[in-house]
Amino acid sequence: MAVSSVLKINGLEREFPSEGVPETLLDLLNALGICHSTVVAEVNGRIIERQNFVNTRLEGGESIELVRFVGGG
Amino acid sequence: MDCLKIADREFSSRLFIGTGKYASSEVMRAAIEASGTEMVTVALRRVDIENPEDDLLAAIDREKYLLLPNTSGARDAEEAVRLARLARAASGIAWVKLEVTPDPYYLLPDGVETLKATEVLVADGFVVLPYINADPVLAKRLQDAGAATVMPLASPIGSNQGLRTRAAIEIIIEQAGVPVVVDAGLGLPSHAAEAMEMGADAVLVNTAIAVAGEPVRMAGAFKAAVEAGRGAWLARPGAVRRRGEASSPLTGFLRE
Repeated sequence: MAVSSVLKINGLEREFPSEGVPETLLDLLNALGICHSTVVAEVNGRIIERQNFVNTRLEGGESIELVRFVGGG
Repeated sequence: MDCLKIADREFSSRLFIGTGKYASSEVMRAAIEASGTEMVTVALRRVDIENPEDDLLAAIDREKYLLLPNTSGARDAEEAVRLARLARAASGIAWVKLEVTPDPYYLLPDGVETLKATEVLVADGFVVLPYINADPVLAKRLQDAGAATVMPLASPIGSNQGLRTRAAIEIIIEQAGVPVVVDAGLGLPSHAAEAMEMGADAVLVNTAIAVAGEPVRMAGAFKAAVEAGRGAWLARPGAVRRRGEASSPLTGFLRE
């Protein structure tokens, strides 16, 4: 049972009022339409390897960073 | 074969390419190809949640090009280490171009924080390529801390000013036991050739190619310049003299 319906994603709070927060990190990425094969995540400051997205459960209230490579020098 | 070895990898191209500022992924891909490079830098940023489709990695053939993630945006050692670890999780390899640039105006690197972060990352198994000001003492300290290269700047990032730090880079090259990669500020192929003629092991170029009117053509020009400069260094240039010295024989003149 989710303890909160809010996730902080890349610094912005996002509410999941009706359905509650997605069950796992993978579900969250799918809900946001983000291709998970190129993304790396931090949940509450801890790096989550891509293969662990599926078993990283979300309760609500987490601070999540979703990052990927962009052009740079 | 004149190969450059960094950590356990060998490179036949001595030109590394940054992937920022390109007008499109297509132009970037073509410029990378034309440069002949084998290593390209990338940055790590938050996913744009509203526009999650944008994917740089799709444009880079990872079979051909080693990804070198940078820690751009880091203002201190702690932020740089965090970015490096995220980049390792994203790329699957532990190479990092370490840059710590707290000053947003000149984007000059913080040597103290860079050394701190190098120590942490080397202990964590990273191959660390630190971006530094052209400081020979710092270069030695980083080398002693286990850095795989040192990457002194030619002039401020993206400034296209060329080799403004020439005298200090000469000392770094003379003293270095690791490859010296001149990074940042090289605006023209002649600047890159100059660095290579001085004995730099490689150069890293982004802005000069990406913002050129024809980036693909400029990438080819940099490739030629780096090869020319390297060739000149290997050929061992003749001495510079103050006076003229005739190239033609000084005997057999048609005079009395």
